[in-house]
Amino acid sequence: MTSTWISPTGDEGIYQIDTGKWRTFRPVINRDRCTNCKLCGYYCPVSSIKLSNQQQVHIDLSYCKGCAICATECPRGAIDMVREGEE
Amino acid sequence: MNLQEVFYGAEDLISPGLSACPGCAGELTMRTVMKIMGKNTILGVPPGCMAGAGVVGWNRLSGAKVPITIPLLDNTASMLAGIRRYYQSQGRNDVRVVAFAGDGATADAGFQALSGAAERGENIIYICYDNEGYMNTGFQRSGTSSKGSNTSTTPVGAMRKGKAQHKKDLPLLLAMHNAAYVATVSPAYVQDFVRKIEKAKEVTCGLAYIHVLSPCPTGWWFDPKDTIKLARLAVQTNFFPLYEYEDGRFYQTVSVKQAKPVQEFVSRLGKFKHLDQEAIADLQQWTDRRANLLQRLCAESPA
Ligand SMILES: Cc1ncc(C[n+]2csc(CCOP(=O)(O)OP(=O)(O)O)c2C)c(N)n1
Ligand code: SF4
Repeated sequence: MTSTWISPTGDEGIYQIDTGKWRTFRPVINRDRCTNCKLCGYYCPVSSIKLSNQQQVHIDLSYCKGCAICATECPRGAIDMVREGEE
Repeated sequence: MNLQEVFYGAEDLISPGLSACPGCAGELTMRTVMKIMGKNTILGVPPGCMAGAGVVGWNRLSGAKVPITIPLLDNTASMLAGIRRYYQSQGRNDVRVVAFAGDGATADAGFQALSGAAERGENIIYICYDNEGYMNTGFQRSGTSSKGSNTSTTPVGAMRKGKAQHKKDLPLLLAMHNAAYVATVSPAYVQDFVRKIEKAKEVTCGLAYIHVLSPCPTGWWFDPKDTIKLARLAVQTNFFPLYEYEDGRFYQTVSVKQAKPVQEFVSRLGKFKHLDQEAIADLQQWTDRRANLLQRLCAESPA
Protein backbone atom coordinates (compact mmCIF):
# COMPACT_ATOMS: atom_id res chain seq x y z
CA MET A 1 0.00 0.00 0.00
CA THR A 2 1.52 3.29 -1.06
CA SER A 3 1.43 6.17 1.38
CA THR A 4 -0.74 8.34 -0.90
CA TRP A 5 -3.83 6.19 -0.32
CA ILE A 6 -5.42 6.13 3.06
CA SER A 7 -8.37 4.20 1.69
CA PRO A 8 -8.41 0.56 2.83
CA THR A 9 -9.73 -0.58 -0.55
CA GLY A 10 -7.26 1.44 -2.58
CA ASP A 11 -4.24 -0.70 -1.92
CA GLU A 12 -3.79 -1.46 -5.60
CA GLY A 13 -4.27 2.17 -6.55
CA ILE A 14 -6.95 4.25 -8.15
CA TYR A 15 -9.70 2.99 -10.39
CA GLN A 16 -9.80 5.16 -13.46
CA ILE A 17 -11.19 5.06 -16.94
CA ASP A 18 -9.54 6.60 -19.96
CA THR A 19 -12.36 9.09 -20.54
CA GLY A 20 -10.13 11.23 -22.77
CA LYS A 21 -10.87 8.64 -25.46
CA TRP A 22 -14.62 9.46 -25.39
CA ARG A 23 -14.22 12.86 -26.98
CA THR A 24 -15.52 13.72 -30.43
CA PHE A 25 -14.82 17.44 -30.02
CA ARG A 26 -12.02 18.97 -27.99
CA PRO A 27 -12.00 22.42 -26.37
CA VAL A 28 -9.31 24.80 -27.62
CA ILE A 29 -8.66 28.13 -25.90
CA ASN A 30 -8.28 31.09 -28.22
CA ARG A 31 -5.56 33.11 -26.52
CA ASP A 32 -6.53 36.32 -28.27
CA ARG A 33 -9.96 36.32 -26.66
CA CYS A 34 -9.25 34.66 -23.30
CA THR A 35 -8.89 37.19 -20.46
CA ASN A 36 -7.79 34.50 -18.00
CA CYS A 37 -10.85 35.15 -15.81
CA LYS A 38 -10.80 31.43 -14.82
CA LEU A 39 -14.58 31.01 -14.89
CA CYS A 40 -14.42 27.91 -17.10
CA GLY A 41 -12.74 25.90 -14.35
CA TYR A 42 -15.67 26.45 -11.97
CA TYR A 43 -17.91 24.37 -14.21
CA CYS A 44 -15.77 21.57 -15.60
CA PRO A 45 -17.25 18.26 -14.34
CA VAL A 46 -13.92 16.47 -14.78
CA SER A 47 -11.63 19.13 -13.23
CA SER A 48 -9.68 19.26 -16.48
CA ILE A 49 -9.07 23.01 -16.43
CA LYS A 50 -5.88 23.90 -14.63
CA LEU A 51 -3.46 26.73 -14.05
CA SER A 52 0.00 26.79 -15.57
CA ASN A 53 3.06 27.94 -13.64
CA GLN A 54 2.38 31.35 -15.13
CA GLN A 55 -1.14 31.23 -13.56
CA GLN A 56 -2.78 30.91 -16.94
CA VAL A 57 -5.74 28.60 -17.55
CA HIS A 58 -5.13 25.64 -19.81
CA ILE A 59 -7.10 22.50 -20.57
CA ASP A 60 -5.61 19.15 -19.71
CA LEU A 61 -7.14 16.83 -22.29
CA SER A 62 -6.16 13.55 -20.56
CA TYR A 63 -9.64 12.94 -19.12
CA CYS A 64 -11.71 15.67 -20.85
CA LYS A 65 -14.93 14.13 -22.19
CA GLY A 66 -15.62 17.03 -24.56
CA CYS A 67 -18.92 18.07 -22.95
CA ALA A 68 -18.41 21.71 -24.10
CA ILE A 69 -19.68 23.27 -20.86
CA CYS A 70 -16.51 25.41 -20.74
CA ALA A 71 -17.13 26.68 -24.29
CA THR A 72 -20.76 27.47 -23.43
CA GLU A 73 -19.99 29.26 -20.16
CA CYS A 74 -16.99 31.33 -21.27
CA PRO A 75 -18.27 34.93 -21.23
CA ARG A 76 -15.86 35.89 -24.03
CA GLY A 77 -16.58 32.96 -26.33
CA ALA A 78 -12.88 32.19 -26.13
CA ILE A 79 -13.16 28.39 -26.21
CA ASP A 80 -13.80 26.67 -29.54
CA MET A 81 -14.88 23.07 -29.89
CA VAL A 82 -12.79 21.43 -32.61
CA ARG A 83 -13.62 18.02 -34.07
CA GLU A 84 -11.02 15.44 -33.07
CA GLY A 85 -8.69 14.66 -35.92
CA GLU A 86 -9.00 18.18 -37.32
CA GLU A 87 -6.69 21.09 -36.66
CA MET B 1 -11.56 29.38 0.60
CA ASN B 2 -11.95 31.70 -2.34
CA LEU B 3 -13.12 30.32 -5.65
CA GLN B 4 -9.65 30.08 -7.13
CA GLU B 5 -8.42 28.10 -4.13
CA VAL B 6 -11.32 25.67 -4.44
CA PHE B 7 -11.34 25.15 -8.18
CA TYR B 8 -7.66 25.55 -9.05
CA GLY B 9 -5.79 25.08 -5.78
CA ALA B 10 -7.46 22.25 -3.88
CA GLU B 11 -6.59 18.65 -4.65
CA ASP B 12 -9.15 16.65 -6.60
CA LEU B 13 -9.88 13.79 -4.20
CA ILE B 14 -11.90 11.80 -6.75
CA SER B 15 -10.48 9.53 -9.46
CA PRO B 16 -9.79 11.61 -12.59
CA GLY B 17 -11.52 9.13 -14.90
CA LEU B 18 -15.10 8.32 -13.90
CA SER B 19 -17.66 6.92 -16.31
CA ALA B 20 -20.34 9.52 -15.51
CA CYS B 21 -21.88 10.90 -18.71
CA PRO B 22 -20.27 13.95 -20.32
CA GLY B 23 -21.73 17.11 -18.78
CA CYS B 24 -23.01 15.39 -15.62
CA ALA B 25 -23.67 17.93 -12.86
CA GLY B 26 -23.45 15.15 -10.26
CA GLU B 27 -19.80 14.53 -11.08
CA LEU B 28 -19.03 18.26 -10.97
CA THR B 29 -20.78 18.62 -7.61
CA MET B 30 -19.07 15.61 -6.07
CA ARG B 31 -15.61 16.81 -7.05
CA THR B 32 -16.28 20.33 -5.78
CA VAL B 33 -17.73 19.14 -2.48
CA MET B 34 -14.70 16.98 -1.83
CA LYS B 35 -12.27 19.77 -2.71
CA ILE B 36 -13.91 21.75 0.08
CA MET B 37 -14.28 18.88 2.56
CA GLY B 38 -10.63 17.89 2.23
CA LYS B 39 -8.72 14.72 3.03
CA ASN B 40 -9.98 14.19 6.56
CA THR B 41 -13.26 12.83 5.29
CA ILE B 42 -14.98 9.49 5.05
CA LEU B 43 -17.31 9.32 2.09
CA GLY B 44 -20.41 7.17 1.68
CA VAL B 45 -21.90 6.86 -1.80
CA PRO B 46 -24.89 4.51 -2.12
CA PRO B 47 -25.78 2.66 -5.35
CA GLY B 48 -26.56 5.18 -8.09
CA CYS B 49 -24.79 6.95 -10.92
CA MET B 50 -21.80 8.16 -8.93
CA ALA B 51 -21.15 4.77 -7.36
CA GLY B 52 -21.70 3.09 -10.72
CA ALA B 53 -19.37 5.56 -12.41
CA GLY B 54 -16.62 4.09 -10.27
CA VAL B 55 -16.08 6.42 -7.32
CA VAL B 56 -16.53 3.57 -4.83
CA GLY B 57 -13.96 1.56 -6.79
CA TRP B 58 -13.87 -2.03 -7.92
CA ASN B 59 -12.17 -4.91 -6.13
CA ARG B 60 -8.93 -3.57 -4.63
CA LEU B 61 -8.98 -0.34 -6.58
CA SER B 62 -10.52 2.82 -5.09
CA GLY B 63 -12.26 5.61 -6.96
CA ALA B 64 -11.41 8.17 -4.31
CA LYS B 65 -8.36 9.27 -2.37
CA VAL B 66 -10.24 9.15 0.93
CA PRO B 67 -11.85 6.15 2.63
CA ILE B 68 -15.06 5.46 0.78
CA THR B 69 -17.87 2.99 1.30
CA ILE B 70 -20.96 1.96 -0.59
CA PRO B 71 -23.87 1.65 1.86
CA LEU B 72 -27.15 0.12 0.77
CA LEU B 73 -29.65 2.22 -1.16
CA ASP B 74 -31.78 2.24 2.00
CA ASN B 75 -29.39 2.81 4.90
CA THR B 76 -26.87 5.48 3.93
CA ALA B 77 -27.66 7.89 6.77
CA SER B 78 -27.79 5.27 9.53
CA MET B 79 -24.63 3.54 8.37
CA LEU B 80 -22.72 6.81 8.25
CA ALA B 81 -24.15 7.86 11.62
CA GLY B 82 -22.62 4.68 13.05
CA ILE B 83 -19.25 5.42 11.48
CA ARG B 84 -19.35 8.96 12.84
CA ARG B 85 -20.23 7.76 16.34
CA TYR B 86 -17.35 5.30 16.28
CA TYR B 87 -14.88 8.06 15.45
CA GLN B 88 -16.40 10.29 18.13
CA SER B 89 -16.02 7.52 20.68
CA GLN B 90 -12.33 7.37 19.76
CA GLY B 91 -11.98 11.10 20.34
CA ARG B 92 -11.64 11.73 16.61
CA ASN B 93 -14.22 14.50 16.17
CA ASP B 94 -12.07 15.87 13.38
CA VAL B 95 -13.06 13.08 10.99
CA ARG B 96 -15.95 14.28 8.85
CA VAL B 97 -18.47 11.77 7.55
CA VAL B 98 -20.13 12.75 4.30
CA ALA B 99 -22.88 11.10 2.26
CA PHE B 100 -23.19 11.82 -1.45
CA ALA B 101 -26.45 10.23 -2.53
CA GLY B 102 -28.95 10.39 -5.38
CA ASP B 103 -32.51 11.56 -4.89
CA GLY B 104 -33.88 8.01 -5.08
CA ALA B 105 -31.55 6.88 -2.29
CA THR B 106 -32.51 9.97 -0.30
CA ALA B 107 -36.18 10.75 -0.87
CA ASP B 108 -37.52 7.23 -1.31
CA ALA B 109 -35.42 4.18 -0.47
CA GLY B 110 -33.25 5.75 2.23
CA PHE B 111 -35.71 8.27 3.63
CA GLN B 112 -36.47 6.40 6.84
CA ALA B 113 -32.77 6.21 7.69
CA LEU B 114 -32.25 9.88 6.85
CA SER B 115 -35.32 11.00 8.76
CA GLY B 116 -34.19 9.08 11.83
CA ALA B 117 -30.64 10.42 11.63
CA ALA B 118 -31.90 13.99 11.27
CA GLU B 119 -34.30 13.62 14.17
CA ARG B 120 -31.62 12.10 16.43
CA GLY B 121 -29.24 14.86 15.44
CA GLU B 122 -26.51 12.58 14.11
CA ASN B 123 -23.50 14.65 13.20
CA ILE B 124 -23.13 13.74 9.53
CA ILE B 125 -23.13 15.81 6.35
CA TYR B 126 -25.67 14.49 3.88
CA ILE B 127 -25.57 15.73 0.30
CA CYS B 128 -28.30 14.75 -2.13
CA TYR B 129 -27.73 15.26 -5.85
CA ASP B 130 -31.20 15.46 -7.29
CA ASN B 131 -31.30 14.38 -10.92
CA GLU B 132 -35.04 13.75 -10.53
CA GLY B 133 -35.00 10.00 -10.94
CA TYR B 134 -33.30 6.64 -10.57
CA MET B 135 -30.87 7.37 -13.37
CA ASN B 136 -28.30 4.62 -12.92
CA THR B 137 -30.86 1.87 -13.46
CA GLY B 138 -32.48 3.44 -16.50
CA PHE B 139 -34.32 6.65 -15.61
CA GLN B 140 -37.19 5.40 -13.48
CA ARG B 141 -39.41 7.95 -11.71
CA SER B 142 -38.62 8.91 -8.13
CA GLY B 143 -40.55 10.82 -5.48
CA THR B 144 -38.54 13.84 -6.53
CA SER B 145 -39.22 13.66 -10.29
CA SER B 146 -41.20 16.72 -11.36
CA LYS B 147 -44.79 16.34 -12.46
CA GLY B 148 -45.03 15.50 -16.14
CA SER B 149 -41.55 13.94 -16.33
CA ASN B 150 -41.25 11.36 -19.07
CA THR B 151 -39.44 8.49 -17.33
CA SER B 152 -39.15 4.78 -18.09
CA THR B 153 -41.82 4.01 -15.49
CA THR B 154 -44.03 6.98 -16.37
CA PRO B 155 -43.79 6.90 -20.17
CA VAL B 156 -45.75 9.20 -22.43
CA GLY B 157 -48.38 7.51 -24.55
CA ALA B 158 -52.09 7.38 -25.23
CA MET B 159 -52.93 6.61 -21.58
CA ARG B 160 -50.44 8.70 -19.62
CA LYS B 161 -48.56 11.93 -19.96
CA GLY B 162 -45.55 11.37 -17.74
CA LYS B 163 -45.44 11.41 -13.93
CA ALA B 164 -48.81 12.28 -12.42
CA GLN B 165 -47.62 13.73 -9.10
CA HIS B 166 -45.63 16.79 -8.11
CA LYS B 167 -42.13 16.66 -6.67
CA LYS B 168 -41.57 15.78 -3.02
CA ASP B 169 -39.90 18.75 -1.34
CA LEU B 170 -36.96 17.22 0.44
CA PRO B 171 -35.06 20.26 1.76
CA LEU B 172 -38.25 21.61 3.34
CA LEU B 173 -38.91 18.21 4.89
CA LEU B 174 -35.43 18.18 6.40
CA ALA B 175 -35.93 21.70 7.75
CA MET B 176 -39.12 20.43 9.40
CA HIS B 177 -36.96 17.79 11.11
CA ASN B 178 -35.14 20.74 12.64
CA ALA B 179 -31.83 19.59 11.14
CA ALA B 180 -28.87 21.71 12.26
CA TYR B 181 -28.31 23.11 8.77
CA VAL B 182 -30.28 22.75 5.54
CA ALA B 183 -29.46 24.39 2.23
CA THR B 184 -30.30 24.15 -1.45
CA VAL B 185 -27.41 24.73 -3.84
CA SER B 186 -26.84 24.98 -7.57
CA PRO B 187 -23.60 24.31 -9.45
CA ALA B 188 -24.32 27.46 -11.48
CA TYR B 189 -24.10 29.73 -8.42
CA VAL B 190 -20.58 28.91 -7.32
CA GLN B 191 -20.08 31.53 -4.64
CA ASP B 192 -23.31 30.52 -2.90
CA PHE B 193 -22.40 26.86 -3.41
CA VAL B 194 -18.96 27.11 -1.83
CA ARG B 195 -20.18 29.17 1.12
CA LYS B 196 -22.92 26.67 1.97
CA ILE B 197 -20.68 23.59 1.70
CA GLU B 198 -18.16 25.31 3.96
CA LYS B 199 -20.94 26.02 6.42
CA ALA B 200 -22.10 22.39 6.35
CA LYS B 201 -18.51 21.32 6.94
CA GLU B 202 -18.38 23.29 10.19
CA VAL B 203 -21.57 21.85 11.71
CA THR B 204 -20.44 20.04 14.87
CA CYS B 205 -23.81 19.35 16.42
CA GLY B 206 -26.58 17.73 14.43
CA LEU B 207 -27.11 16.87 10.80
CA ALA B 208 -26.28 19.09 7.83
CA TYR B 209 -28.36 18.49 4.72
CA ILE B 210 -27.56 19.91 1.28
CA HIS B 211 -29.86 19.50 -1.71
CA VAL B 212 -28.41 20.06 -5.20
CA LEU B 213 -30.53 20.23 -8.32
CA SER B 214 -28.31 18.24 -10.66
CA PRO B 215 -29.17 18.53 -14.36
CA CYS B 216 -28.73 15.15 -16.06
CA PRO B 217 -28.21 15.41 -19.85
CA THR B 218 -28.88 11.73 -20.50
CA GLY B 219 -32.01 11.37 -18.39
CA TRP B 220 -33.52 14.81 -19.06
CA TRP B 221 -32.60 14.75 -22.75
CA PHE B 222 -30.63 17.90 -23.40
CA ASP B 223 -27.23 18.74 -24.89
CA PRO B 224 -24.48 18.23 -22.25
CA LYS B 225 -23.06 21.68 -22.99
CA ASP B 226 -26.19 23.25 -21.43
CA THR B 227 -25.90 21.69 -17.96
CA ILE B 228 -24.89 24.91 -16.19
CA LYS B 229 -27.24 27.04 -18.26
CA LEU B 230 -30.14 24.84 -17.14
CA ALA B 231 -29.02 24.81 -13.51
CA ARG B 232 -29.04 28.62 -13.69
CA LEU B 233 -32.43 28.77 -15.39
CA ALA B 234 -33.93 26.54 -12.71
CA VAL B 235 -33.00 29.19 -10.15
CA GLN B 236 -34.01 32.15 -12.32
CA THR B 237 -37.47 30.67 -12.86
CA ASN B 238 -37.92 29.89 -9.13
CA PHE B 239 -38.20 26.24 -10.12
CA PHE B 240 -35.34 25.64 -7.69
CA PRO B 241 -35.00 28.49 -5.17
CA LEU B 242 -31.73 28.88 -3.27
CA TYR B 243 -32.13 29.23 0.46
CA GLU B 244 -30.84 27.98 3.78
CA TYR B 245 -32.30 27.02 7.12
CA GLU B 246 -30.51 27.46 10.41
CA ASP B 247 -31.58 27.82 14.05
CA GLY B 248 -35.25 27.70 13.09
CA ARG B 249 -34.89 30.45 10.50
CA PHE B 250 -35.14 30.48 6.72
CA TYR B 251 -33.00 32.75 4.55
CA GLN B 252 -33.28 33.26 0.83
CA THR B 253 -29.63 33.42 -0.26
CA VAL B 254 -30.09 34.25 -3.94
CA SER B 255 -33.00 36.53 -4.55
CA VAL B 256 -34.70 36.42 -7.92
CA LYS B 257 -36.09 39.87 -8.63
CA GLN B 258 -38.18 39.11 -11.68
CA ALA B 259 -38.67 35.37 -12.04
CA LYS B 260 -38.70 34.07 -15.61
CA PRO B 261 -41.63 31.88 -16.65
CA VAL B 262 -41.08 28.21 -15.80
CA GLN B 263 -41.74 27.45 -19.44
CA GLU B 264 -38.26 28.78 -20.29
CA PHE B 265 -36.71 26.01 -18.22
CA VAL B 266 -39.20 23.28 -19.06
CA SER B 267 -39.19 23.81 -22.82
CA ARG B 268 -35.46 23.06 -23.01
CA LEU B 269 -35.82 19.54 -21.65
CA GLY B 270 -36.74 16.51 -23.72
CA LYS B 271 -38.42 14.87 -20.74
CA PHE B 272 -41.03 17.67 -20.79
CA LYS B 273 -41.34 17.88 -24.58
CA HIS B 274 -44.90 16.52 -24.57
CA LEU B 275 -46.27 19.02 -22.01
CA ASP B 276 -49.18 21.14 -23.23
CA GLN B 277 -50.00 24.64 -22.00
CA GLU B 278 -52.24 23.29 -19.25
CA ALA B 279 -49.49 21.07 -17.84
CA ILE B 280 -46.98 23.92 -17.97
CA ALA B 281 -49.44 26.22 -16.21
CA ASP B 282 -49.78 23.55 -13.53
CA LEU B 283 -45.99 23.49 -13.02
CA GLN B 284 -45.99 27.28 -12.94
CA GLN B 285 -48.68 27.33 -10.26
CA TRP B 286 -46.77 24.79 -8.18
CA THR B 287 -43.60 26.85 -8.54
CA ASP B 288 -45.36 30.08 -7.57
CA ARG B 289 -46.96 28.45 -4.57
CA ARG B 290 -43.67 27.21 -3.25
CA ALA B 291 -41.91 30.51 -3.91
CA ASN B 292 -44.71 32.15 -1.95
CA LEU B 293 -44.42 29.71 0.91
CA LEU B 294 -40.66 30.25 1.09
CA GLN B 295 -41.11 33.98 1.07
CA ARG B 296 -43.49 33.73 4.00
CA LEU B 297 -41.16 31.36 5.86
CA CYS B 298 -38.26 33.79 5.37
CA ALA B 299 -40.37 36.77 6.40
CA GLU B 300 -41.92 35.09 9.42
CA SER B 301 -38.76 33.53 10.77
CA PRO B 302 -38.11 35.09 14.18
CA ALA B 303 -35.19 37.47 13.86
C1 LIG C 1 -32.87 -1.81 -2.19
C2 LIG C 1 -32.36 -1.61 -3.56
N1 LIG C 1 -33.23 -1.55 -4.60
C3 LIG C 1 -32.78 -1.37 -5.85
C4 LIG C 1 -31.44 -1.24 -6.11
C5 LIG C 1 -30.96 -1.05 -7.53
N2 LIG C 1 -30.41 0.26 -7.78
C6 LIG C 1 -29.09 0.49 -7.87
S1 LIG C 1 -28.70 2.06 -8.24
C7 LIG C 1 -30.35 2.47 -8.29
C8 LIG C 1 -30.75 3.88 -8.65
C9 LIG C 1 -30.54 4.86 -7.56
O1 LIG C 1 -31.11 6.07 -7.92
P1 LIG C 1 -30.70 7.42 -7.21
O2 LIG C 1 -30.47 7.21 -5.77
O3 LIG C 1 -31.68 8.47 -7.59
O4 LIG C 1 -29.28 7.78 -7.84
P2 LIG C 1 -28.96 8.04 -9.39
O5 LIG C 1 -28.85 6.71 -10.05
O6 LIG C 1 -30.04 8.87 -9.95
O7 LIG C 1 -27.65 8.74 -9.36
C10 LIG C 1 -31.16 1.38 -8.02
C11 LIG C 1 -32.62 1.40 -8.04
C12 LIG C 1 -30.55 -1.31 -5.01
N3 LIG C 1 -29.24 -1.18 -5.17
N4 LIG C 1 -31.03 -1.51 -3.77
S1 SF4 D 1 -27.38 9.41 -16.15
FE1 SF4 D 1 -27.45 11.56 -15.52
S2 SF4 D 1 -26.84 11.60 -13.34
FE2 SF4 D 1 -26.25 9.61 -14.23
S3 SF4 D 1 -24.09 9.87 -14.85
FE3 SF4 D 1 -25.39 10.31 -16.65
S4 SF4 D 1 -25.73 12.53 -16.58
FE4 SF4 D 1 -24.97 11.93 -14.55
